[in-house]
Amino acid sequence: MTRRAALGTMLAGAAGFAALGPRGERFDPRGRIVLEYWEKWTRHEGDAMERIVDAFNASQDRIVVRYNVVSDIGQKSLVSIAGGNPPDVIGLYAFNVVPYAETGAILPLDELAARAGMSLDQYTPGVRRVMRHQGKWWATVNTAGSIALYWNRAAFRGAKIDPDRPPRTIAELDEMHRRLVRTDASGALDRVGFLHREPGWWSWLWAYHFGGRIYDEALGRATVDSSEDIRAMEWMQNLSRGLGVDRTARFAESFGNYFTPENPFLTGKVAMIVQGPWIANLINAFKPDLDYGVAPFPTETAGPIDSPVGLIDTDVLVIPRGARHPGAAMEFIAFTQRQDMTEQLATAHCKPSPLAKVSEAFLANHPNRGIRVHYDILRSDRSFVAPRTRVWQQFKDEFDTQVQRMWRLEVAAPVALARLQTRVQSFIDRAAERQRRRYGQRGTA
Amino acid sequence: MMPTAHGQSTAPARGDAERRASRRGVVAGLAWTSPWLIGSCAVVFLPMALSLYYSFTDYPLLEPPLWTGLDNYRGMMHDPTFWRVVRNTAVFAGLSIPLYTIVALVLAAMLAGRGRMAPIFRACVFLPTLVPLVASAMVWMWLFNGEYGLINKVLGLAGINGPAWIVDKDWVMVSMVIMSVWGVGQGVVIYVAAMQDVPGQLYEAARIDGMGVGRQFLHVTLPMISPSILFNVIALTIAAVQVFAVPYIMFRRPDGQNPVGHFYTMYLYENAFIYGKMGYASAMAWLQLVVVLVLTGVLLLASRRLVHYARV
Repeated sequence: MTRRAALGTMLAGAAGFAALGPRGERFDPRGRIVLEYWEKWTRHEGDAMERIVDAFNASQDRIVVRYNVVSDIGQKSLVSIAGGNPPDVIGLYAFNVVPYAETGAILPLDELAARAGMSLDQYTPGVRRVMRHQGKWWATVNTAGSIALYWNRAAFRGAKIDPDRPPRTIAELDEMHRRLVRTDASGALDRVGFLHREPGWWSWLWAYHFGGRIYDEALGRATVDSSEDIRAMEWMQNLSRGLGVDRTARFAESFGNYFTPENPFLTGKVAMIVQGPWIANLINAFKPDLDYGVAPFPTETAGPIDSPVGLIDTDVLVIPRGARHPGAAMEFIAFTQRQDMTEQLATAHCKPSPLAKVSEAFLANHPNRGIRVHYDILRSDRSFVAPRTRVWQQFKDEFDTQVQRMWRLEVAAPVALARLQTRVQSFIDRAAERQRRRYGQRGTA
Repeated sequence: MMPTAHGQSTAPARGDAERRASRRGVVAGLAWTSPWLIGSCAVVFLPMALSLYYSFTDYPLLEPPLWTGLDNYRGMMHDPTFWRVVRNTAVFAGLSIPLYTIVALVLAAMLAGRGRMAPIFRACVFLPTLVPLVASAMVWMWLFNGEYGLINKVLGLAGINGPAWIVDKDWVMVSMVIMSVWGVGQGVVIYVAAMQDVPGQLYEAARIDGMGVGRQFLHVTLPMISPSILFNVIALTIAAVQVFAVPYIMFRRPDGQNPVGHFYTMYLYENAFIYGKMGYASAMAWLQLVVVLVLTGVLLLASRRLVHYARV
């Protein structure tokens, strides 16, 4: 073959590939609209969502939804939206809603949802706070979670603590923790009552149980150096000091991964944990005989029982900017938000439904024995959500870093929190200033 | 000039033919290298140019870039996390490069012989470098586990109560440095090849002059393989400044980032893809490139005095 022929063949091949090669096919052979749906769930949680997708695909003959499991979904969604080739529906986390909404990365749902016959009133009040931002509706909630105290009743009995009486105040929790701590002959920890760092996903939430908060959304100000925050962190440091920093670090290294039978709550190494309802799935799968109870996480001073304090942490569905079929995407989302579908998904995930109205059968047959507690938190006017600021990811990372240092007693809580306040406020102010420069008084995309 | 039958000179015709052939050669060369040229422009030079522009902007990816001048570069100077990752990366590079080089040289000296088993030992030393970084990080996490880790079990046999290697702030950097030596096989292979190229008569002359094995290594082997050492040290410096995957797996845990295990490229990545601060991340990337270039330049300058290019 001559050089010219070789070059010609290569160029022809490239041109053919460009002209006839694979395309982002959006219609299946039967002419149905194909929706790309990115979701983070795998295993039993993913299977449950796929069943919903299958039910939707079977329910009509115009739209086909393709379920794609995507790891690191926040980062990949960011890149796909910025690149102008996003999927039609994305399953994100609640904390993604504000930054995505403020940057115009997701579509407001008010009109689309109204056309699909949906209303915000169908959701529990706590969940609505996640869905709305700056007066607009941005996301629907496919599974709701609220964070509560899970306690090991057998461990309570062993330590001569009433297994039916969870702690209601921080002081009671401290006392129970003290009685639950167990060491071996060498003095190494064998069991603890409570560890702030297990699993450590919400290192910032303690202040709320001391009557404080870490961010004032109305003023756009971090409040991590408030007296409540300082008391919360000093409480954490006292527990760390009592257990011994090095001894606890060694003990924590004996914990297995969260999603395994070696989860320290399942193995009995930690008798009380702060957790979401999904842990019931782990218990049912790996340790079905675990005798556990669920209660709202205690507060510094006992509050009204019918209005517990607790974090609301949900998964959301959004339609990204640049989605090819927003109307069809909304139709699919509306299907997932039907009462029967949300109950089916919530049951499989061991979580409460995000809807205000649930069937008695759903509650009666729910695989999480603490489901009513999680509902109480969702409905409570004292429940809270993660700070709604677009710099939350960096805010949280900085908070986590300082909490690590405080946990290891490297710095006093007031000092660490004062530094954190200055640092985090600088992010918030800078982001606000950039927003003003970019959009003027309007403030958002 | 030779006249033709038609009375015309052949030289201009030959010149034209040569020029045509030369042009055809250039075109063919460009055509054959065009995939590389186009690819480099599309995925290297254009992104580099764009990132240089973004480094002077506030660019959250989802919104258009906003020109902010030198704000990102000034911001770095006042960012305590930036200085923490710079310090951690510098300490890591300062400890791991000399240790890696010494261990690689010692192993290479031991394995440079031409014995029957030497290739097998060399293969054994090289083998760990074939393990993917993520897999080796997971293995090392278990080896370093304070409670169940093999390292502490062995230390325990000697009556030593081993630390919580990857949690304790005093030991995190030590564990990273130890782990960096895990990939020493690559350096060993290069040094062995260089040592085997050292002419035997130099050793013979050294022996005649009364040099022992140690002095032969210092005064013959090291100068003769110094170009290889220079190459390895430059490669190690670049790798150390860019260290990412292993600490990202080991020290970015569900309960937050271990501050001592936080390195420059990790923070750069977090700014770009987690915090949505692509402008700041681009500025960090350009600073990183400048630092790598300066360090490489310094090493090359130092090599003029320290590296011996033998002409045998």
